[in-house]
Amino acid sequence: MSEDIIIIDKDVSHAKALCVYLERKRMESHVAASSEEALMLFDNVGAKLVLADPGLPDTDMISLLTGIKSTHPQVQIIIMTPPDHFDLTMAEIKHAAVHYLLKPVKSTALDMALYQARSWISLNHRLAATERKLQKLRQTQNLYQQLFDEVPCYISVQDNQFRLTATNKMFKRDFGDEIGSHCYSVYKHRGTVCQACPVADTFADGYSHSTEEVVTSKSGKQYNVLTWTAPIRNGDGEITQVMEMSTNITEIRQLQDHLTSLGLMIGSMSHGVKGMLTALDGGIYQLETGMAKNDKERTQKAFEQVKQMTGRIRKMVLEILYYAKSRELRYESTNIVEMADKVVSDAMAIADKNGVKLEANISPTLGIIDVDPTWMQAALVNFVENAIDACTYDRSKKGHIVTFDAFELSDDRICFIITDNGMGMDQETKEKMFTLFFTSKGSQGTGLGLFIANRVIRQHGGTITVESELKKGTKFHICLPKSKPAQSGMVHIPETLETTVNNETDDEK
Amino acid sequence: MKKILIVDDDPNIIDYLTTLFEDNGYTTIAAHDVQEGLEIAKKEIPDLITLDLEMPEEWGPRFYRKMSQEKSLKNIPVIVISGLSGGDHAVGKAVAFLSKPFDRDELLKIVKETLNV
Repeated sequence: MSEDIIIIDKDVSHAKALCVYLERKRMESHVAASSEEALMLFDNVGAKLVLADPGLPDTDMISLLTGIKSTHPQVQIIIMTPPDHFDLTMAEIKHAAVHYLLKPVKSTALDMALYQARSWISLNHRLAATERKLQKLRQTQNLYQQLFDEVPCYISVQDNQFRLTATNKMFKRDFGDEIGSHCYSVYKHRGTVCQACPVADTFADGYSHSTEEVVTSKSGKQYNVLTWTAPIRNGDGEITQVMEMSTNITEIRQLQDHLTSLGLMIGSMSHGVKGMLTALDGGIYQLETGMAKNDKERTQKAFEQVKQMTGRIRKMVLEILYYAKSRELRYESTNIVEMADKVVSDAMAIADKNGVKLEANISPTLGIIDVDPTWMQAALVNFVENAIDACTYDRSKKGHIVTFDAFELSDDRICFIITDNGMGMDQETKEKMFTLFFTSKGSQGTGLGLFIANRVIRQHGGTITVESELKKGTKFHICLPKSKPAQSGMVHIPETLETTVNNETDDEK
Repeated sequence: MKKILIVDDDPNIIDYLTTLFEDNGYTTIAAHDVQEGLEIAKKEIPDLITLDLEMPEEWGPRFYRKMSQEKSLKNIPVIVISGLSGGDHAVGKAVAFLSKPFDRDELLKIVKETLNV
């Protein structure tokens, strides 16, 4: 394909001479003698090269040429001018032209000018292409940075000293902007390298490695993470850094734990439920036969039993519901004397039935405190009933007594003390008594009662200490703040079996 | 009158079984755990024993093993009444296995058949 060139020259014979010369150079010339013709040609031909004599002193052409150059910067303009107008033309057109030639134009000078103009065109062309590539690169880089930042994982890049060289947004959010710090200090708050490290493994063998870790965020929260590593190599294929990607699977693990313990609970509970249903059957049988025989004493006793069993089943169902669902405490201003009286009267029936004496000593000036009345009462009943059970199961002696004291400890705390002279606890029982599903009562216990009671007290910001001696008895101190603690509220649903073990129990004897 | 020994840690269930058996013309004695059960059994030599499996301290199968070693006791029929599923394997020679909550007519029928042999 030949190359288009527009020739603008009022001197028609000079223009024709140029045409002939350029055609030999396989160029297609389009000649214009006026600025109107030039504009028309320019619009129609789309040439990249213009060879023009501005034809001073008329300035129309000057403004046309500078106009074209500013709207179409890729067009290269070569100016030819008679020697007497040379300086003036140059002063007017300046950089809008790529080259200036003297008229009459010499072929070598024209060739040189064309060569230069073409170089400019191809240079501009390459520049534009590079510009486009750069643009694309910037976009890609942007995209990757975004991907890096927005991936819902903790991503860090580490050097062979386990120093962080880059981290993504989520990492910065939970672990801080810790570029330059060591991975083990940021993730695990430790001063030395971890024992098994997937990053070290990847540095050693170049493969991806995976581990499951427990890490601690800057706010002190613990997360279970699934970690994958990948090597980053330099141009020579050497591993210079390793990328570590950690997915937070805390919720999955917690859910698993919760499901596991729910499963365990149903298993451990089914036996207790069966016992209760059998006892309820017994109550109903005695109620029926008592009425049929018109035996008032039996009917009365049976009725008590049915009532007691219904109460126990109710309590168990509530406990299951409490465990199955994490709940926010519903604080109410509660008259604690009334509540304590209720706890005692609830437990009295069971104490009487089992021949255990229940003594209450409730300070009448306890007043009003902030608690969730439903659960606080359930927790206290649990401790008292537990004390009664400890007496009932203790067949080594007679004259069992449970005491329930409630008094003001200080301006902002109250205290309950529950004692029994029952069977007492050995070391193991003492350590495990608040553990989920731990029971020393065989089929009678579900292992939920004290677990939940403990959790309720702690949710209220209270403390529990226990003194117990085997065959002598047990003493529970429960202290509660009078008003809602600042950091209260929800106990996170899933609670692993281990975390519920109480450790305050063994320092007192 | 035939004498039945009830071994169960739950006083409510002892109460139930006692009333049920006595209403139907048997005499009963009760034990709350394995140790007590063995002592009473040796003293009273019952005609039949109902045995719970899961109890605090020692479990029902232990009771059965120990009573099988006693000449005076080893031929006494045992009915297992337990909340454990699959407990019928725990005491292989039991005449019957009833799971809690049990059907009382079924229990009475088994007791009657066992004691009439």
